[in-house]
Amino acid sequence: MLRAGLSVKTLWQLMEMKTKTCLKVHGRMADLQHAMGAFRWMSSVRPAPVLTAAPVRALIDEQISIKGRFLPPNSPITLCSRMHSEDGDLWEAFAHYNTDASGSFSLTSDRSVGGSYTGCEPMGLFWGLHPPPGSREGLRLRKRNVETPYTVHVSLLEGHISPSGGPITELAAVTTERSYMAPGVRRIDIRQNGIVGTLFLPPGPGPFPAMLDMWGMGGGLNEYRSALCASRGYASLSLAYFEHKDLPGPLRELNVGNEYFKSAFRLLQDHPQIVAERVGIVGLSFGVYLTLNLATQPGINPSCLICINGPMGRSHFLPGDKGEVKYWNYDERGYIAFRQISLPSNMAPEYKVKMEKINCPLMYIIGEDDLSSASTENADQIEEELRAAGKSHLFTRLSYPGAGHLIEPPYAPNARVTMWRIKPEKMVALFGGYDAPHAAAQEDAWRKILCFLESNLRG
Amino acid sequence: MDKEQRCVSLSVHPSRGLMDEKFIVLVQKVLPGFQLTIHASYHCEDGNSWEAFAHYTADASGTVNVSQDTSVGGTYCGVEAMGLLWSLRPVPGSKPGLRLRKKNVQTPMEVTISVYQGHQTEGFVDQVPLASVLVERWYMAPGVRRIPVTEDGLTATLFLPAGPGPFPGILDLWGGGGQLVEYRAALLASHGFASLVLDYLTSKITMETGKMVDNQYFETAYRVLQQHPQILGSRIAMLGLSLGTSITFRMAVYSQVIKLRCVVCIGGSHVQPIDGSVKEILTFVSLNGSKVRFSEKNEMIWRDLLLPITTDPSFKVDMGRFQCPLMLVVGEDDQSWAAYDSAMDMKEMMERAGNSHLLTILSYPKTGHLIEPPYTPHFRASIFRKVGTREKFMVLWGGQTVEHSRAQEDAWKKILVFLRENLYGGTNPGATLLSHL
Repeated sequence: MLRAGLSVKTLWQLMEMKTKTCLKVHGRMADLQHAMGAFRWMSSVRPAPVLTAAPVRALIDEQISIKGRFLPPNSPITLCSRMHSEDGDLWEAFAHYNTDASGSFSLTSDRSVGGSYTGCEPMGLFWGLHPPPGSREGLRLRKRNVETPYTVHVSLLEGHISPSGGPITELAAVTTERSYMAPGVRRIDIRQNGIVGTLFLPPGPGPFPAMLDMWGMGGGLNEYRSALCASRGYASLSLAYFEHKDLPGPLRELNVGNEYFKSAFRLLQDHPQIVAERVGIVGLSFGVYLTLNLATQPGINPSCLICINGPMGRSHFLPGDKGEVKYWNYDERGYIAFRQISLPSNMAPEYKVKMEKINCPLMYIIGEDDLSSASTENADQIEEELRAAGKSHLFTRLSYPGAGHLIEPPYAPNARVTMWRIKPEKMVALFGGYDAPHAAAQEDAWRKILCFLESNLRG
Repeated sequence: MDKEQRCVSLSVHPSRGLMDEKFIVLVQKVLPGFQLTIHASYHCEDGNSWEAFAHYTADASGTVNVSQDTSVGGTYCGVEAMGLLWSLRPVPGSKPGLRLRKKNVQTPMEVTISVYQGHQTEGFVDQVPLASVLVERWYMAPGVRRIPVTEDGLTATLFLPAGPGPFPGILDLWGGGGQLVEYRAALLASHGFASLVLDYLTSKITMETGKMVDNQYFETAYRVLQQHPQILGSRIAMLGLSLGTSITFRMAVYSQVIKLRCVVCIGGSHVQPIDGSVKEILTFVSLNGSKVRFSEKNEMIWRDLLLPITTDPSFKVDMGRFQCPLMLVVGEDDQSWAAYDSAMDMKEMMERAGNSHLLTILSYPKTGHLIEPPYTPHFRASIFRKVGTREKFMVLWGGQTVEHSRAQEDAWKKILVFLRENLYGGTNPGATLLSHL
């Protein structure tokens, strides 16, 4: 390490430095041994190892390649991702790897041997995020403000450790930003003709194909899937219909009817930057019923339909309403699986959508571990009715073992359990799905959704 | 609006990238054989507009991929993945001599990329494109910290990479235009190097007292790096461009305080009075004022000011005393500094002294003086105001756009490898603290 030609003075300075460090170390030998072991690699004579992520600013559905180098060869390391949700909750994932013979690692090719996930999972640090032990129960990660990114801090730690939300000693770190909105996407509040929603337009003059987007009985206004669709070139209107302050009537009740949904569809068709003949509909959970029902209204001709884990009809009660309680199943913790109520056999006949009226391609996506909705049975019912009407060619089914109810845009954590209501009493709902298969389902389904939109809205 | 126009799909990946990161521009769903123009547009902070464009013909699958397909006309030709950025030029009607430099590095450069029908060369502003996207280009990665430094009379900005460190450090010096030019240091920090860019011509002290800084000023800046708790004092480099090169050579060889792990010098020279400091260098250069030439467009050519390379040792930094790896980056068409001739002279000095194994020269034909991080526009000349003068001149920097842009890309890649090898590599990564004692 000594270079030729150093002056004597510099040599002395170097030796002094080393002696001082040596004394410091020996004096703190006992401390060092007690230390977490993380100080073993920290040195005053060499730089920290390098951790990189590319792209470091990504869209939510883009893979990020995480790599590290300048580490000791064949050594254990832990990668730990952390972020705070908009509500201030900590979410964390971690995974155990070993560096290769050159002291490097790459998450796109290496296998995790423990932690939040195992095996080769390039995006495991993002979909594997969980609130650490001791956090509030039933948390679900959903972005409310889609105009800002998720900032996820990824740390490199020495050895195979389990952070559990506590203090960690980083060897290196990288900060990633993941966005639902691409640059240039425009977000427009819609409060017209009684419609409550948010419209996202892709950048550019258009005109664009479009999707009407509806979620389930969780209510409110969830913008992120629409924002991402616009980032992929499809205008999208995320429509509120339940439990939103700008909607008429009492909260906790469904106060809008067929005319409301037809208006929303027409709003898209009438928009100067949207192609009227290229408008489709996507719905999740109760949004599936709304999607199918709207598609069969006279004068409404969507180009395609995407249905994720939802019913093709409903009972007289609203999903989640106490009137349905006899259909609910409870687990040992008192968490509720709503599933049974959405079996076609439990639906009110007048509310079952007449599938023979569907005239466009329909993609139905199933999480086979869906504990909230009888998705497989509904898919079967839909498929059967379309077949009877000679329209089998319109139907595409995607079915994912181990995936739950909330099949959302990829690389986001699954909520197997979620806090459904706090008032008037606490209700915790079971949505199902196990981390790894659910993540795989989200990734595959999104890719297929984009292809389906491409063929039907741009083909 | 007819069907084929509706279908056009334009995407740029990544849509948010670093300034030196490549992107892929893809046009899809046009008819096979469709002729189109891809256009880039940028409105910079000073209000000027820049544009670039290229002509393509879609292949049998109705696709144009800028990274793979050939531009048959426009501001660049051939297969050029990043041509839409480096061939940007001021729009017609702009003032002459513009230079594109980002002052605020905390916001991205926003470039609009559009597709137009047919092979067009003008009037883009008056037309509606078939499709258009916005691309962000950043100098700072998320987590990089920007810290103004004003202690001990310095005018500087420190950029620290994300994470705990310790990081190697780089002292970054620009040239005779002065000011604090932050973008290169910000980009270096995004690559893991703590970087301190130093204003040594228009510092607060100089502006207030009229006095130029002395050599101690640079040693103070070095100490700021060396003593920073997140910077490794034994792994500090200097990177200089133009006049900054002169300072760098002087400090690397003669300073008792500054000990460098490696040095990168771009477009500069070792020819200077070896006594004194900044003031003496500036005076020395202007003594040869009569050697200034003018091009046929009346652009100032300063190249001859240091030519012929002197044989007088009191006017050349003694390169034989260089003790660390040195990378020289020179443009063979540099019209501002005699960088190539200086590099050859330095090589000769080091060969005679026996330390030429430390030297790497990157020499680029048809490349001018301002070899900067890649994918920003090249300009052969621009309006420039040298510190200490009131007037602005049109100065000839040199270089041909295609070759200069290639040189910037190649040089930057090699500079980063050089810095990484010397500042991150070099010792057994498996060694523990104890074994170093």
